[in-house]
Amino acid sequence: MNNILWLIRREIWENRSLWIAPLVLGGVLLITAAFGGMHIGGNNGFSFGFNADSTSEAEVRHAIAGGPLDKRQFIYAATLSGFTVVQLLIMSIVLFFYLLDTLLAERKDRSILFWKSLPVSDTEVVASKLATAIVVVPLFVLTVSAVLHVLFGMVWWVRFHNSPLGGLLMSWDTVTWLNVQASFLLFIAVGILWYLPLMTYLMLVSVWARRNAFLWAVLPPLSILLIEAIISQSHYFADFLGRRLVGLFQLFDLESQLGKGHERLPALGDTLALISNPLSSQETWFGVLAAAAMFVVIVRIRRMRDDS
Amino acid sequence: MTAIIEARGLTKSYGSTPVVRGIDLNVEAGRIVGLIGPNGAGKTTVIKAILGLTSFQGELKVLGMDPRTERDALMKEVCFIADVAVLPRWLKVSQAVDFVAGVHPRFDRKRALEFLAKTDIKMDSRVRQLSKGMVTQLHLALILAIDAKLLVLDEPTLGLDLLFRRSFYDNLLNDYFNKERTILVTTHQVEEIENILTDVLFIERGKIVLNSPMESLAERYMQLIPAAGNVDRARALKPFWEREIFGRVAMLFDGRNPQELAALGETRAPSVADLFVAMMQPIGTAQSPSKEAA
Repeated sequence: MNNILWLIRREIWENRSLWIAPLVLGGVLLITAAFGGMHIGGNNGFSFGFNADSTSEAEVRHAIAGGPLDKRQFIYAATLSGFTVVQLLIMSIVLFFYLLDTLLAERKDRSILFWKSLPVSDTEVVASKLATAIVVVPLFVLTVSAVLHVLFGMVWWVRFHNSPLGGLLMSWDTVTWLNVQASFLLFIAVGILWYLPLMTYLMLVSVWARRNAFLWAVLPPLSILLIEAIISQSHYFADFLGRRLVGLFQLFDLESQLGKGHERLPALGDTLALISNPLSSQETWFGVLAAAAMFVVIVRIRRMRDDS
Repeated sequence: MTAIIEARGLTKSYGSTPVVRGIDLNVEAGRIVGLIGPNGAGKTTVIKAILGLTSFQGELKVLGMDPRTERDALMKEVCFIADVAVLPRWLKVSQAVDFVAGVHPRFDRKRALEFLAKTDIKMDSRVRQLSKGMVTQLHLALILAIDAKLLVLDEPTLGLDLLFRRSFYDNLLNDYFNKERTILVTTHQVEEIENILTDVLFIERGKIVLNSPMESLAERYMQLIPAAGNVDRARALKPFWEREIFGRVAMLFDGRNPQELAALGETRAPSVADLFVAMMQPIGTAQSPSKEAA
């Protein structure tokens, strides 16, 4: 365990983008919220952006009017969630490249010969890299976005407390804030289970490729897809890939779970109901099994590989 | 004496090309062994096999362990520098020390810092900011601060200037006398290490061609520069190598009576470098006018 902690520290030293990216992005989001235009549309639409027209008081009144009492709370939660979703999207991209590079970079600069001269096992090394991607970085990103929510509350208060909009829209609500954090924690946990095979696949490419890990990751599945389409005119593989990429959201089934035009704050119970579907799905657990198998292969290849 | 490295029939091929062909090897505790051979002779492959970095056929025990299956345990007792340029460029000096201290139970942080204090290396520099010599010093500081039973060095001074090379081997030797350890080292610069070695191993085309303690080299091999009229008589004693320097002939003999040779001209113990060249280019294959200089 001690070794794993040192190895994780090592990953953070090497891959500074893992923690710099969420911080920079948080700053950009905050600046946008402080100085950008704001838009509240009729259909729960709420956005910040330098392109959005500022919404008038009348429009906000109109948007809120007629809805349930907690519509203000809903708009507030949706705003916070928006920040977190953007953070998670960027995190996915950062992690994609991190995982693809992590076991190739040490062979490219030959530093693997240094790491291998120390008493850390290949299992510990691979486990620490995976743990960085599935535990350390997601928890850090969630923490950054939770803090971002607090800072957003301050920016909002400074910007609107003297205007009528400040009275119409919430700037802070502890219960909603906690609710959003807890929901995302649960979503992320399920998301990691679902995407685990994809992540280990990237590591497998990383430990196997001599160079061009990106091409090795993308071209083979793409070729299989095309060959299948040309030879048998079918698309089983494409369906499989698509399912692994977006199937989680199909399993969440947001629309039927929350109902169309849902306009109240989702309770934690709603979130639990949402994740119960993918959690009880065989697809999720077959994926985890496949990831475990790939993990064993990755460790073995790193142990045996000799091309220094 | 316990054997630190024991190999029987160590063999390794890359594809259909054999690189190591059935090597038998015994390295006893407390020796400093030089593994010397031309490029492509299989030195690095032997070393990689010993360190569990490559697969091989045959029997090999390092500290009584099989490097193929017990590598993790082995690395607690063995440390190595496989190449000087392998410290990652993004690593800070302080991070390197912290990391090794964190994962290695036998690392002595105080020793490493003492060593680094004697250099111009700053703790908050990154490896990419250091000169090549400094990177080697850093690597050496880290590795020598580990109390390992076996130290393996593969071309540790490659590409370094003479001053660095000299201080590297001085440090290595001081350290060797401070602690009882076994050292296996490969290098091209035979001349620089022959004074510190206790044993030499010559390897050529995947085979060991000489395996001898240094003290018995002097008993077994003799170099003779025969007096002007004695060249043919000397040749009759079957030197295994000869070359011309400054118009005179130098010959190397294996197992001849020293008195018999001394009667024919000047004799002296050959250097390891001379022996190396002689064995790699036996008589008739080359009359190299230059000393092995690489």
